This record gives sequence, C-alpha cells and structure tokens, in this order.
Amino acid sequence: MKVKINGQEMEAREGETILELCLRQDIFIPHLCYHPAFGGQGACRMCLVELKEPGRKNNRLVASCTYPIHSYIEVITESERLQRLRRNIVMLLARRASQNPWMKEMAEQYAAPSMPPVETEPADCILCRLCIHACEKMGKSAIWSMFRGIEKRIATPYDEAADDCMGCAACAQICPTQAIKMEEDDKTRTIWNKSFELVACRRCGKNFATREQIAYMQESSGYEFDELCANCRKVTLAQNISHYNH
Amino acid sequence: MSAKVKESNPDQQTVLVCCGTGCTANGGRKVYEAFVEKIKDHPEWKVQPILKSTGCNGWCEKGPLVRIMPRDITYCSVAPKDVDEIIDKTLSEGLLIKRLLYRDPVTKEYLSSHHQTDFYRKQHKVALRNIGEIDPAQIEDYIAREGYQALALALDNMSGQEVIDTVKASGLRGRGGGGFPTGLKWQSCKNAPGQPKYIICNGDEGDPGAFMDRSIMEGDPHTVIEGMILGAYAVGASRGFIYVRDEYDLAVYSLGKAIEDARSHGYLGDNILGSGFSFDIEVVRGGGAFVCGEETALIASIEGRTGEPQDKYIFPSEKGLWGQPTVINNVETWANVPVIILHGADAFASIGTAGSKGTKVFSLVGKVVNTGLVEVPMGTTLREIIYEIGGGVLKKRKFKAVQTGGPSGGCIPEELLDLPIDFDSLTQAGSMMGSGGLIVMDDHTCMVEVARYYVNFLAGESCGKCTPCREGIRALLEILTRICNGQGQLEDVEMLEEISITMQEASLCALGRTAPNPVLSTLRYFRDEYLAHIEQHRCPAGVCRNLTTFYIDPEVCTGCGLCAKQCAVEAIQGDKKQPHVIDESRCIRCGECFRNCAFNAVKIG
Repeated sequence: MKVKINGQEMEAREGETILELCLRQDIFIPHLCYHPAFGGQGACRMCLVELKEPGRKNNRLVASCTYPIHSYIEVITESERLQRLRRNIVMLLARRASQNPWMKEMAEQYAAPSMPPVETEPADCILCRLCIHACEKMGKSAIWSMFRGIEKRIATPYDEAADDCMGCAACAQICPTQAIKMEEDDKTRTIWNKSFELVACRRCGKNFATREQIAYMQESSGYEFDELCANCRKVTLAQNISHYNH
Repeated sequence: MSAKVKESNPDQQTVLVCCGTGCTANGGRKVYEAFVEKIKDHPEWKVQPILKSTGCNGWCEKGPLVRIMPRDITYCSVAPKDVDEIIDKTLSEGLLIKRLLYRDPVTKEYLSSHHQTDFYRKQHKVALRNIGEIDPAQIEDYIAREGYQALALALDNMSGQEVIDTVKASGLRGRGGGGFPTGLKWQSCKNAPGQPKYIICNGDEGDPGAFMDRSIMEGDPHTVIEGMILGAYAVGASRGFIYVRDEYDLAVYSLGKAIEDARSHGYLGDNILGSGFSFDIEVVRGGGAFVCGEETALIASIEGRTGEPQDKYIFPSEKGLWGQPTVINNVETWANVPVIILHGADAFASIGTAGSKGTKVFSLVGKVVNTGLVEVPMGTTLREIIYEIGGGVLKKRKFKAVQTGGPSGGCIPEELLDLPIDFDSLTQAGSMMGSGGLIVMDDHTCMVEVARYYVNFLAGESCGKCTPCREGIRALLEILTRICNGQGQLEDVEMLEEISITMQEASLCALGRTAPNPVLSTLRYFRDEYLAHIEQHRCPAGVCRNLTTFYIDPEVCTGCGLCAKQCAVEAIQGDKKQPHVIDESRCIRCGECFRNCAFNAVKIG
C-alpha cells in the first residue's frame, strides 16, 4: 500500500509499523526502546512522528514504533516540533545516566540542557526495558519493571536471586547504557545477585555459557548440547558438511 | 416479561437509614442496628414499618440521614440514642422531631423533607435516581422502581442496532473523563469482526476526593448490571467484567450479591428472560493502582499483566480484552443506559447542553458547607453548584479556586465561576470534567502547593512506563518543591512550562498527557502566586512554612485566647482580653492560629 513519508511516496507492508518501514527505507527515526527482535513498546517516546490527518488543523503525534500502517498515511519524521520534544526527552533521560558516554553524546547531539543527575537503581538505567524483553525472549522472566511512577526500576522479584535467572546475560548485552552490572572471573559469573558456574568451550577453551544456560537449552530443545561456543560450533559444522562434498 | 411490582399498603411506613460510606463513617450502621433492635416490639402497630439500609443519599455533611416514607421526612445527623424518640414520636404518633430536621440557614425555617433544601432542589437525579430510595441488597426494590424494564423492553421489541441507535441519539458521552460518545464506541465494537466480545465496567475510581462511582456501585448495583446487559445485547457480547478497586469492599460485596440475584431472577446467565440471549458478569478486584483506570492498563490488569497503558492506535472496541472487541465504559455511564432505553433518547437529550447531554454526578468536597454527592444537568454553572447546592465556602471565607477533574484536571478561578460546566467548557478553561471531582478551595490555600500536591500524587501513581510522564513528573515535583521551599528561580517557571508541554504532547496515555494540568492551570490563573514565592519569598496564603511568618495585629486581637489554646508549641502568650503575641523563635508556622482566629487578627508577615 502507498504511503507518504516526508513528502516522498513509498510502498508499505500491511500492518508494519511506521518505524519498521522507515528503518527498511533508511529513514532515520531516533528510538531507544525499540528492538527488531521485540517490536515497539511506545515507552521512550523518542520515535514520535507527525501524522497528517485530513480535516485536522494540527498534525497528530504518534509513536512510530507502535503505529501500525493499515491505510494511506502521510508522515513527517523531522520538524521543529519533533526536535523540541526529542531534545526535552533526552534532557530528562540523560540525567538518569549522567556519566554514561553514550547518553552524554546523545545529549550533545540534541543540544539538551543539562539537569541535575538523578540516582537510579541500577545506576545509569534509562528504563528502556530492552533487558526485560531480552530475558522474556530467552524464555525466562527473571527481571521485570517493579513499582510505579518515579520509583519504577528494573529488578528481580524482591531483589533476591531469581529462580528464573540462568545467568545468560542477554540483559546486560542488550543494555545501551551498560547499567546491568556483571562480574566474571575464570570460573564464575555474578549477575542480579546470583553466581553461576561458567562452562568453557571444549574446542577453544573460552568460557561461553553458564551451566544453567546449557541445561536450559538442552531441556527446551530436547537435544543433547555439545559444549561448543558459537564460533566453534560453526567451524565444527562446516567441517562436518565438508565431508559430504567428497 | 414485565417485572412484577408489589402492591404497597398506603398505611405502611418505611424507614430508610443511609448506610452510604459517609453516613457509615458517622455511625449510620449503628443507627440502623438500633432500629432493627427497637422497631420489633410495638405490638400496637397495625402495620409494621419496613426498615431499609440504603446507599448514599449524597448529603454526607448532614449524615447519618434517616428518612421516613411515605411522608418524606428527613432527619439529619441522627445518633443511635435518637432512635427511641423517632419510633415513639414520628412512627407511632406521626409527630415531627424539630431538632433533627434541617434548618434553612437563611430563612431559619425547619424543613421536613430534604427535597425542600437548597442542596437537593437544584439537583436532577438520573444516574443516582434510586440511591437512597432502595435497599441495594434487595433486587425487588430495584424492580419496583422500573428496574430491568428497559432490558425487557429491549429484548422484546428492539434489535441490538436499535439499542445502539437510541444511545447514539441520546448524545450520551463517557462519564469516566474522556467524554467519548458512547453510541459510537458501541457501534465500533458491534462492527468489529471476531467473537467472543466483552463488556467491561470501569469501577477503578481513584481521584482524590471522588466517590461518585463508589456510591453507585454500593447504592444501586442493579442499574450498572442492567446497563451492561443492554450494552452486551447491543454489541453481541457474551461475557462482562466489573473492575473495582480493591479498597471498595462494600461495592464488591454489593455487586456480588446483585449479580447472584440477577442470575436467579433470569436477568443474567443463559437465555435471559427467555430471549435466547446469554450474558454473564464477574467482578474483578483491582490492586488499587490509579493508572488502572486508564482503559488499556485496566485491560492488562484483568488479563493478569502489569497495569501499564499501551498506545491506542487500535481502540479496545476493535481489539481489547484478550485481543477481542471490547466495550469499556465507566460506572456512571452504565447507570444512565437503562433510563435512556426505557424513556427514550429524546427525554435524555432534553437535559444538558448542545454538546453534553444528560446529567453529571459530582463529588463536592473541600472547603464547602454541604459536602456530598450531587447530580446536576450538564450546563449548570460552577457557581450554582458551589453556592446554591453547596451552600458556599466554609466559615464564609473567600473563594479562591475549584479543582475539577482530579489529578488530570485543573484549578478554576473565581472569574470563571459562571462557566456552564460540560465536557468542552472545562477543557477550554484548562481543566477537565474528569470523573467529576470538585474540590473547593478558600483563600487559605496555596496554589503552588496544590499543584505540588497533585504532581506528588502522580509521582506515585503514574505507571512509570513512558519517559515524558515519569521523568517529567519527577522534574515538575523537584521544581515545585523548590519553589514551595523558597529556593525557586524565575527560570523555574519557564522550565515548568517547557516540561509540561513535552508531557502533554509526548506522553503515552491520557494520565501523562493531562498530568501537567494542575501546574499549567495554576500558572495560568495564579501566576502572581508563583512569582510571590520566587521573587518576594512570600507565600500569600500562609501555607509554605519556609516562606511564612505570622504575627498578631494588636489592634484587632480581642485576647480571646483561642489561638494560644490551639498552638501546639505554646508559642503564643498574652493576658486574658489583652492582645496576644507570637514568639517567632518557637513558632513552627503550622498556621493553626491563622486559620482559627475568628477575628482575622492573625496576619501573614
């Protein structure tokens, strides 16, 4: 179906969001809480765009990450109005992660005035909630956003070591501000108040997963898991396949 | 299918004891129990009187209320010790007890019925039509007052589409705050493909000071149920949910009993009144989060998910509960539906203004003489509600503002008191109808502190999901607290406006988009007060402690000593009938002397 983005006509897929279309078309819309693996949440509000609606004097503001395209629409992704809102959102968010280089850079980029820092738990968390969805996508729900209002924060239930947590660290890897603290030595990883035994790859010897993670993968897939890291698994697979060529 | 109405005996007296929340808090339940005890032993009566405990009459200020029918006598502020006298004099001998009657403050006349009082005369009861008249636990009481007749009429003579068309023609708009046309919402749900469809009643009333929906659920649960059945029939839904906040214990009980009774009478369940249409309702208790009044958060909560709103680019009427087409309306909206169906759209549409039809229930609280629940036609002015029904500002103080619409609303100043209130006029004034809270404020109220109070409420009650709402509220609260503490800067006012606009434009749901209203409306109408805090380090209302000192004007002080008695820190000294003095070093600026001085001798420094 035809739509118009910034005055330019283009083809959209039925039901895809404005943000998904724009990402496909290389039209930049800033976003913090969207990830292609989970879709939009409409939480950070950085991806707001203007929607021209016939018969309405003012353009409507919608979150491009959650607005599904079902019919012809006209969208504006850059304007003074949007610049101002994005600047203010960055201003309000940057104070939660005032020492974080990534947020500092963003604040500079949007010329956001600085406000006194806010202490958050965990420190530097901007509550984009990507960690929650990463955990959910792994098949677990060890962390969630707790409490309401300005007290809201990401935590395990009752801040205790969560039964559901298998130490996979998907949350820490996806976090844009490195707010989730993880400590590792040769044998153990500690994250969310829980310690895990690290398992080394039998081929290259590097630690690549926790014991609980491997057990979970075996249990959920029903297959015996060869203790190989992602890279060595690829190499081994390639070697196996090459036998068939002869 | 028409409901049976019992023949009434004209000699039979009925005693209605108000056991609404306000009256119960004042001992109404004890009065009722005293009647139960004492009404039995009068063998000389030819016809035993009927005793009923009712829902809230609305006149909470004068509770506990006892009404005696059919003579329509209303006794105010009744205590259990008055019960003997009421039985002996009024029930047995037909005499009035003067001291329990309401005395008009102007004419000094004793009024035997509450219907003659200023508080009731201007009211027009539609949603509250049965409350106070019936025992909510008796389905027969509801049936006797046209109850379930609208349902019988619709099932007998109307198609679902005709029900929707009637609601559309009535002009009914959602009473929960949004003001969306109810008929359009139903049409959208009816047209949406997919089965099953659901009906939800939003009983998650959470505005500070609001108790309209609570009173309806407690005092007339069957009207809500009948409204929902009619809605279900109209859109083709088979299951309904009433979402009630957990704190409303009596409402949960009252609804539960009513649902059971409606089932056993054939109004709910399979094959309703033999029509082939089936529908049932269950009560869901919310956890008490204010944000769950927002419909997408409420739906998430029923589904067992965290009560957080979602973008509504597809309305719940198309994709709601468990992804199915869902009609969600507020308690008061449902309560209006049976009346519209039974008496027709025209009768309903003849009440109200061009854009807002019917009546609206308000909970009138704060510094007003007659606190309570009032229902008036849309278009009634704020002045009529506050001065004629409400009896004016308490202690004859000067009116300063009225806060409408709860934390999403704003403060309306004296110059707008003649505003006829409806959905649109209040929005234009920078406030909103909201669910119908009206909080009257006198000149001892600091408007900066009021804004801070509401923002602080939302700091705990926003869901915290989206950035503008969560972080915007945090920033507003910091700045307002700073101003109240006397550390405000002129730039702060600009920053308040900048953040407020961002919240209005960018927040995910209506809670965030309206959260800055208390700030923006006070900035709009009481900017001087902000500037007095910032530039002169003075709180004109004498509320903000860091910015206030009190002194006693010796010319005015009569030396009555009331202030000295009230002072918790013994900071006020003075001889009898001689001007008193405040010791500033001891004074904690609580303002008790200032608020209580009958001669206005305590002044702000």
